[in-house]
Amino acid sequence: MANIPPGGERRNSHSFDRRKTTISTGHLELLSKMSGHLAVTLNLDETIQKALDLIVKFVKAEGGALFLLEEKLATLVCKASAGPVDIRGIRVKAGEGIVGQCVAENTSRITRDVQQDPNFDHSVDKSTGFQTRSILCTPMTVHEQTLGAIELVNKRTADGLFSDADLLMLQTLASAAALAIHNAHMAEELVEQERFSRELELATEMQRSLLPDAPADPFPVSGFNLPANEMSGDFYDFFELEDGRIYFSLGDVSGKGMDAALLMSKTASLFRCLGKTIHEPNTLLVTINRELCETAIHGMFVTMVCGLLDPETGAVKLANAGHEPPLIHARDGTFTALPASAPPLGIMSLQAGDTGIRDEEFNLDGGALYIFTDGVTEGCLEDGSRLEQAGFQDIIRERSELPAAARLEAVVSILSDTGRKRHDDITLLVVEDTRPERHNNEANNGRGMIIARYTFPARADALQAVRDVVNNACETCGCATEAATDIVIAVGEACQNVVRHAYRDNEEGDATLEIYCKGGILEFRLQDSAHPVDREKIKPKWPKELGPGGLGVCLIHDIMDKVDYLPAPEGQGNLLRMVKSIKRNDNNET
Amino acid sequence: MKHEILEKQGTSIVMFKGEIDLESSPAARETLLKCFEHTGNVIVDLSEVSYIDSSGVASLVEALQASRKNGSQFTLAAVSEPTRRVLELARLDKVFTLYDSVDEALENQA
Repeated sequence: MANIPPGGERRNSHSFDRRKTTISTGHLELLSKMSGHLAVTLNLDETIQKALDLIVKFVKAEGGALFLLEEKLATLVCKASAGPVDIRGIRVKAGEGIVGQCVAENTSRITRDVQQDPNFDHSVDKSTGFQTRSILCTPMTVHEQTLGAIELVNKRTADGLFSDADLLMLQTLASAAALAIHNAHMAEELVEQERFSRELELATEMQRSLLPDAPADPFPVSGFNLPANEMSGDFYDFFELEDGRIYFSLGDVSGKGMDAALLMSKTASLFRCLGKTIHEPNTLLVTINRELCETAIHGMFVTMVCGLLDPETGAVKLANAGHEPPLIHARDGTFTALPASAPPLGIMSLQAGDTGIRDEEFNLDGGALYIFTDGVTEGCLEDGSRLEQAGFQDIIRERSELPAAARLEAVVSILSDTGRKRHDDITLLVVEDTRPERHNNEANNGRGMIIARYTFPARADALQAVRDVVNNACETCGCATEAATDIVIAVGEACQNVVRHAYRDNEEGDATLEIYCKGGILEFRLQDSAHPVDREKIKPKWPKELGPGGLGVCLIHDIMDKVDYLPAPEGQGNLLRMVKSIKRNDNNET
Repeated sequence: MKHEILEKQGTSIVMFKGEIDLESSPAARETLLKCFEHTGNVIVDLSEVSYIDSSGVASLVEALQASRKNGSQFTLAAVSEPTRRVLELARLDKVFTLYDSVDEALENQA
């Protein structure tokens, strides 16, 4: 007992002498009652106050205080106080005073008479007028981690002194309190995490709203963005100017975190705002660069392409600041890369013109311009190899007959359905020359080899023969059986519609089906010479109580990759063009 | 398209053979609707149907609607692959009650 001050006794909680004092059934009842009370609260402040109030009541103390360790476990702060004097907010250094020593040594302490304990700090008594006679103090520990301590003062008895039994009870109750505080801590952390993920969700939503809506078909520009994580450092945008020209842009912010996402939002906003008045792509990039440099974030930059398309002429003006070269896919099938004329934005001051950012001018002439981020070319395929520009070109070339959005989706699905974790965002933009005269030329020139031409009377009894023609054509092209079945369904429905709708009032007429094949793409052209059908009315319908009309059109759209209702070239009649990419049947390919 | 009708346990079993398209679907429709006049329940055996188009599907839907109106049962049995494909494309495979065989359909008649 030599090192224990007079009037004070240290008790290691593990070596407490249980022969003298045992927990009675009364104590156990109290314990379970208290655990029950604490189990329902998950709010930390509430839990702490409630725990202290219960302990003070059960141990019959005049007052008490609960301290928690803060500031990297260096300081004990009074978080709850019970009794005549409110000492909340009082700070004690770990290791100092009775509470501090209890925590530092992880021992319980009973000080029967504080007047004889040199460690007792009289300052609180002096300032409050309260007279402390006896103190019980025990640390609160969970999983060997000390959270703080509970201190009780003055037993509500005549002498006001605590007994060993009181200390044992305090120790027991303190364990329950510690567990409750630990749980409340975890609950608060969970709530905080929830709040953060909700905020991230909102930010993601906000960021997605910066991307333009998919325009009503047909529109010359379409884009796609698939972030690797919640937030994206890529962006694309396009909008129509009053003179009918279309501004488009795609950018990639260095880095991938929230900071990249915020810089992306800023750059995208600058493009949309400044683009309304600055109609020279290179000048626009120079201006955006100035803004980004003024509020530069250390080490971050933006690679960006922006351009203007005149949909009336197919002319494009394009500026590229440090971005991966966009590709022009010309009508003759060749690809041309357009390398950057300047470094990325946000690094240094740039001029417009030959010494800085140049405007490249060219005409799409029925072709398409592809702009994409390195998430595309550096994206991994199923076998782990990178797609590269060559792989990208192959995907696009094979699908040149498909609508632009379907081509982009094909690239994205090839890169995202690999079962591998993606590390970069995938963003693509395609700008097309959609002038009808260019398109028809392209269609006439690029349809490929004719497989069948079949003219039939527009009557129900002629349909079976048409289906046989389609089935044979599919076989000739090496189409897989399942795909052929689907194609027969779709073309059958299209022919059925001609029979049912095109020739009315017992009018008799013929229809002609042409089937072309080119590089895994089948094209069906069904032409009649009936009165032109109102194309607006041929819409897929899926009525709950079905009639056959809308269902047929639905099946056609479902099966075919592309369906166009065109005016017949000769003026009279309707032309339905359907395109389907087929999987080749290897056995027939030779 | 050809068809055969069998009656078993007060149920008409209609077997269609061949292609149900715009040309033959009116006959299919009439056959099915007449069955409801004779007996309560109808099972359609589609095992021999090599092709069905939207007009044929519409006949089946109309028969289903008729059965619901008069409280009888209308089920499809032994649905051939081409028929199943069209029902799937039309998202109608969950609308009809489908059984693997006519016997199974008969067992499940209420």
